[in-house]
Amino acid sequence: MLKKGDEEIKKELKNLNISLTLDEVRKISKAIGREPSIVELYIFNAEWSEHCSYKSSRNVLKMLPTKAPNVVLGPGEDAGIVRLFDKYCLVVAHESHNHPSQVLPYEGAATGIGGIVRDINCMGAEVIGVCDPLRFGENEYIIKGVIEGVGGYGNPLGVPNLGGDTYFNSSFNDNCLVNVIALGLVSEEDIIHSKIPDCAKDIPYSIVIIGKATDASGFCGASFASEILDSAKERKEAVQVPDPFLKNVLFKANKELFRLIKEKNVEIAFKDLGGGGLACGTSEIGGDFGIEIELSLVPQIEGLLPEVITCSETQERFIMAVPDSIIDDVLKLYNEDWELPNISEKASAAVIGKVLKEPRYILRHNGKTVCDLPVSLVVGGISYDREEMPIECRYEEPDQEIGTKNLKDAILNVISHPNVSSKKWIYSSYDMEVQGKTVIRPGEADSSLIAPLIEKGISVGVACSCDCNPLQGRIDPYLQAVNAVLEAQRNVASIGATPVCLTDCLNYGNPEKPEAFWQFKEGVRGITDACKELWLKDYPEYPMPVVSGNVSFYNESSSGTSIDPSPIIACFGIIRDISKAITMEFKDSGNPIFLVGERKDELGASVYYQTLGFVGRNIPKPDLEKERENIHKIIELINDGFILSCHDISDGGMITTIIEMAILGDLGAEIDIEGIGTIREDKRLFSETPGFILEVKKGYEGKIKLNQAYHIGYTIPEKKLIIKDLIDIPIDTLKKAWMGTL
Amino acid sequence: MRVAVIQFPGTNCEYETLVSVKSVEIDCEIFRWNRPADELLEFDGFIIPGGFSYQDRVRAGVIASKKPIMKAIMKKAEDGCPVLGICNGAQVLIESGIVPGIEWTKVEMALTFNRWTGFFCDWIYLKVWSKKSPFFSLFSIGDVFPIPIAHGEGRFVTQKEGLLDRLIRNEQVALRYCTEDGEIIDEFPINPNGSVFNIAGITNKEGNVLAMMPHPERASFAYHKSSSGIKIFEGMKFFKK
Repeated sequence: MLKKGDEEIKKELKNLNISLTLDEVRKISKAIGREPSIVELYIFNAEWSEHCSYKSSRNVLKMLPTKAPNVVLGPGEDAGIVRLFDKYCLVVAHESHNHPSQVLPYEGAATGIGGIVRDINCMGAEVIGVCDPLRFGENEYIIKGVIEGVGGYGNPLGVPNLGGDTYFNSSFNDNCLVNVIALGLVSEEDIIHSKIPDCAKDIPYSIVIIGKATDASGFCGASFASEILDSAKERKEAVQVPDPFLKNVLFKANKELFRLIKEKNVEIAFKDLGGGGLACGTSEIGGDFGIEIELSLVPQIEGLLPEVITCSETQERFIMAVPDSIIDDVLKLYNEDWELPNISEKASAAVIGKVLKEPRYILRHNGKTVCDLPVSLVVGGISYDREEMPIECRYEEPDQEIGTKNLKDAILNVISHPNVSSKKWIYSSYDMEVQGKTVIRPGEADSSLIAPLIEKGISVGVACSCDCNPLQGRIDPYLQAVNAVLEAQRNVASIGATPVCLTDCLNYGNPEKPEAFWQFKEGVRGITDACKELWLKDYPEYPMPVVSGNVSFYNESSSGTSIDPSPIIACFGIIRDISKAITMEFKDSGNPIFLVGERKDELGASVYYQTLGFVGRNIPKPDLEKERENIHKIIELINDGFILSCHDISDGGMITTIIEMAILGDLGAEIDIEGIGTIREDKRLFSETPGFILEVKKGYEGKIKLNQAYHIGYTIPEKKLIIKDLIDIPIDTLKKAWMGTL
Repeated sequence: MRVAVIQFPGTNCEYETLVSVKSVEIDCEIFRWNRPADELLEFDGFIIPGGFSYQDRVRAGVIASKKPIMKAIMKKAEDGCPVLGICNGAQVLIESGIVPGIEWTKVEMALTFNRWTGFFCDWIYLKVWSKKSPFFSLFSIGDVFPIPIAHGEGRFVTQKEGLLDRLIRNEQVALRYCTEDGEIIDEFPINPNGSVFNIAGITNKEGNVLAMMPHPERASFAYHKSSSGIKIFEGMKFFKK
């Protein structure tokens, strides 16, 4: 092939649906000293894709803080792990499934959930929750399909949905974002790694595949995720097919596997088969060892080519390296005890190869060698230093006189805006209660809370929240990322939990375009700076660690415009005693209401400006030192019982925050906004400067020693929102607007 | 009393159901679908928990209802042993025809698609309408309590003429959807799925088999929003045996 002319080679690669560049193919040939086989080409196509190799991002990602005393496992394997309580650990992972969801919304979103839960499970952990940050354009088919897909997988699987966040904006018209997050629980001594253990030097290990029979679905999925979505070549075959029913059974069988290896006291390597399929899964467990696989032994539908068996991304599969001494037990467990072949056609556990002492990656098909490469070359990946070019912000603040004289209408417009109004229509289609450990559900507070150890008599809770305002990135991608980290932490603190780690999914445009790459780099810089300043409460000398994450590039429309930058941040928090956690609805009348955080002229990217038809320029520029002090103090005040309800100020400003607390609490509020800032009244109400609204226990106002805390009013029994000299609206009217039933 | 929590492929509420039952000090274990059905005869109480047994293929609950272990459970039900079907378990019991069981093992009702929504998860209120079944020994008639639901096919319907009247007369309608104040209103979300007569739970004639759509295992403990659901599990202790 390489003897042909450049254009001919390019054409051939295109015909094969291979995204490698000509230079990359040449590089491969040079490294192996011969022309790669077709199977090898497809393996590199997957391994060197942006999705698997992080080739554009890896040099930038080094900036992120990943180490801290509570981190058990940072980025590098399928999920990150932090200490939760005693020997118990929290496992977290965060991925994107953007392109598949744009092409086939239901299947794309469902397999997004299906993939992320495997990442957790393969660490030896039980999956205890999922979240789904979503970014949509106007296409209702996609909105409906994605939401149904998320529920359509998580509900039958039996994992509670712990929320997410949803934004609608036209930059996502041709490229929606479907991010998925999963949480797991594991005992530290039971963590399973995705590397072949050292003892494989001395005892024989075999490779076992378990799960669904391999088919052609998702072939080239990893490289598909690393290209621009061009409506002319919607590649539906690159999207995988979900089967939560099989996964439900598979997870229960895996639980028995974990018990078995503990009982037999053996070490295994365990990994999910996701992006890049068998090729990535088997090569990445190699490490210092080699792997030899006979592809015909892989349970499969008939007639698959060797490259399809190697690189298809058929769902519901895992790969493991197990000592030969337990192979019979493993096969019996899956094939007989849990009857995989009767659950899904040809699904099973099967031995497909063995571990070699020499680090070579060898694949045979009916005895014929179709791949023979050094493991290090397969998994080593490549790396590019991309060019960057700053984008000049083209937005301006609206003229001073623009604004509204009718505050009531303005309030109704803001709270009925799709980015503010109740998302109950989304989360009520998800099972939020399964597993029976949900303490705070989506919609009840700024973050959800589960009690994963409650059955063991331990009342520790885990909170999580995800955030990122897309429009802010259009104005300043650095501050956007800072604000996302800050808001995610604020949300976790709002229920009284202490933030302990973050994950990120960095959704950007084409990294080969210097402007998009600059946005990405600014985002990583913003996250890094925010993590350093918003450090771990229990270890002040350590920045907030980012323990797992994902980069999703090439999110742009066919016309070549990038989506709004979206470094979506998930923050995980721990509360020692779930009974101390608080929700956001007002609890009783006559309690003091406090505003935390002066209202500043920071309405750039605000919902209020959007309702007036502006983007604006002044996005919140937080004083991170003051914010950190407030966050840490509020956590203590909640755990001491002085704060009865707390809700952070974000989309829609402080008035939206108060309205939501009143609606959910079925109470009213009477406030005075004099002295909380010098800006115009409407701006005070709608500014998205970070902050909190607190309902404080009567008589304990003196305890609220926070930076810029203002006692602005009281909760009242009459179901009304009264702003002194400005507003008097029934809560019922507000509720109708917010619920979308006005 | 020794209770089996049945695990079909696709069941997903067996572990928390086990926790609830064990918490009221009832001996209880999970029973996998492919164990010999005969072994079930050694148990004297049965719970078919929530989930998506057999992927809801054909109709929710129908495939599980045809399995050998269901035959064994039906036999034990005839002997008067308590059988509780929750959510998908309720669908299995309706499909097997032992609830409402006017004509034993004849399918007389259906749990069809929610009238107003697809899959819907929320907290609703229930009113105890009949105490005929020992499952409700710890309740009083008219008790109102909050409990979560999570289903797409939870709407009780029947085409059989006069059946509803008969169920009411027989005191087989055990639980009805209502407002926080106990008012029975047939509108969303008070009656979340549009069930006839706001039915949320129904028993057989004798009262030993209960099929309910809401999840008592998710309303069992102090850390749940309500712990009233635990009384239904505790009610199993009031069966004679």
